[in-house]
Amino acid sequence: MSAGAELARPVFRRGPAPLAWPRTLLTGWFFQLKMQAQSGFMVLTALVQPLIFASIAMTDQQAGNRTLPLLYYALGAGIMGIWSTVVFGCGGVISWQRHQGMLEPLVMAPAPFVLVLLGITLGTATVGLYSMGATLVWGWLVFGAQLHFASPLLFVAAVVVTVVSLGLLGLVLGSSFVLYRNSNAISNMLEYPVWLITGLLVPLSLLPGWTHPLAYLLAPTWGVEALRAAAIGGDSAIPLLWCLVASAGYLLLGIWLVRVVERRARQHATLNFQ
Amino acid sequence: MSGLVAPRSPGTHFWRVFFIGGLISYRALFYWISPWQYIPTMLGAPLFQILFFVYLGRAAGVGSTNFFVVGNSIQICSMAGIYGMTMAIANERSFQTLSPILATPSNRLALFLGRGLPVLISALQTCLFGFLVSALLLGFRPSLPDLPGLALAVLVTSASCTGFGMALGSIGLRVRDVFLVSNIAYFLMLLLCGVEVPIGRLPLLLRALAQLLPLTHGIAAGRALAAGAGFLTALPNILLELLVGCAWAAAAYLLFAFFERSGRRSGAFDRL
Repeated sequence: MSAGAELARPVFRRGPAPLAWPRTLLTGWFFQLKMQAQSGFMVLTALVQPLIFASIAMTDQQAGNRTLPLLYYALGAGIMGIWSTVVFGCGGVISWQRHQGMLEPLVMAPAPFVLVLLGITLGTATVGLYSMGATLVWGWLVFGAQLHFASPLLFVAAVVVTVVSLGLLGLVLGSSFVLYRNSNAISNMLEYPVWLITGLLVPLSLLPGWTHPLAYLLAPTWGVEALRAAAIGGDSAIPLLWCLVASAGYLLLGIWLVRVVERRARQHATLNFQ
Repeated sequence: MSGLVAPRSPGTHFWRVFFIGGLISYRALFYWISPWQYIPTMLGAPLFQILFFVYLGRAAGVGSTNFFVVGNSIQICSMAGIYGMTMAIANERSFQTLSPILATPSNRLALFLGRGLPVLISALQTCLFGFLVSALLLGFRPSLPDLPGLALAVLVTSASCTGFGMALGSIGLRVRDVFLVSNIAYFLMLLLCGVEVPIGRLPLLLRALAQLLPLTHGIAAGRALAAGAGFLTALPNILLELLVGCAWAAAAYLLFAFFERSGRRSGAFDRL
């Protein structure tokens, strides 16, 4: 190929139009997965931190007088890890893009910004799967948790739906973080309240009634319920369905929010604010 | 001959570096100093941490509310102690201001300890906030005569965590990602120091390790005082916590001196 023809070739190959969006999403997801897997902070958030919380919960369970199974805590701690990676990953990635001066080019690129963000948040949520695997293996090895899944297929389906729903919830958070310069502070504060009110380690019945409507709006509530039902026994179809409904809601809200904040950030020239 | 700057006595110079230098470094290097960062990170997160573990204890049917309130309200001082001190020392390297500072003839002890004072005050504020919200939301009521003793236990534990944070910060003179080390240390202390889990439930090796860490003895003293056991019962643990804190501060100073010397030789201060 001559030098002229080489220069004339587009940098990004344009495929059939229907495949352009999935390709953008898939590329963003994979790129994010590779980046996050090499970040010491994310590995800590996804691996070490959930193991510590799982150990605390399981030790307390063994010392206490309640009889919730250890698997109950292992699964809850796993979702805690996914939530942490989402909440820090979404806020952190956008701050980092802004810090690197990449946020403006991403917003200005022809690919819809919402797809770029969605790839980032889904990739981040997928990294959180480390947590799920780690807490299950840790619970089995160290605490002797029984890893007999009542319905393995439904369990896998519940894992996939939960990760996607958390990634979509991350999209809602991430789109808000674009405008907020102190997003890492909000990330720092958002971990514990969501862990608490979504019943990841504490049954919802122990929490005050006014927290329940909030819990029902958050995907981790339904995700962990579906996972527990599929693993320990129970009906996982209803929580799975609610998780999907919540995901659809997050997607619509995320698309709207991204559009609004993108326009506002362009109008006020706040995209590159440090 | 008169110079541009009037000479000061070594004592004045020491305290100037200690107080003014410490304050300036806190303002310059503590990430979370603005209210937008400080309130969610140093007050919001600890509040939810206390609530989370109190409810976790209730769910597991282990310990009393006071067990988790005292454990967590004292433990949250380590947030300022560990992260604050890591920032106060290690960030000099990140911001490339370490070489100019170490080129000055300032007393290293003043330079080093002065950074701990604002962090210690911040740690005390966080603890106080933790106890206040626990009193308001969770009905925490310590015995009144033991309140001064509890305050002393909190002060000593905050100082001890600051000493531990100094050691981690000193490591930041050499290690690139010292915040990873700080994060691991912070979360491990939740498990090892009797904050959420009675120390007696830990394996022997971890129990021995816990004795060498800050928080362990301070929390034990705090729990004894909150239960109305009396100051004399808690005193041995307060003294042990002080000893642990002094040991970590001494280790931190030695580490700082070592890394300064080796950094001068290898030119590692400017490597990011």
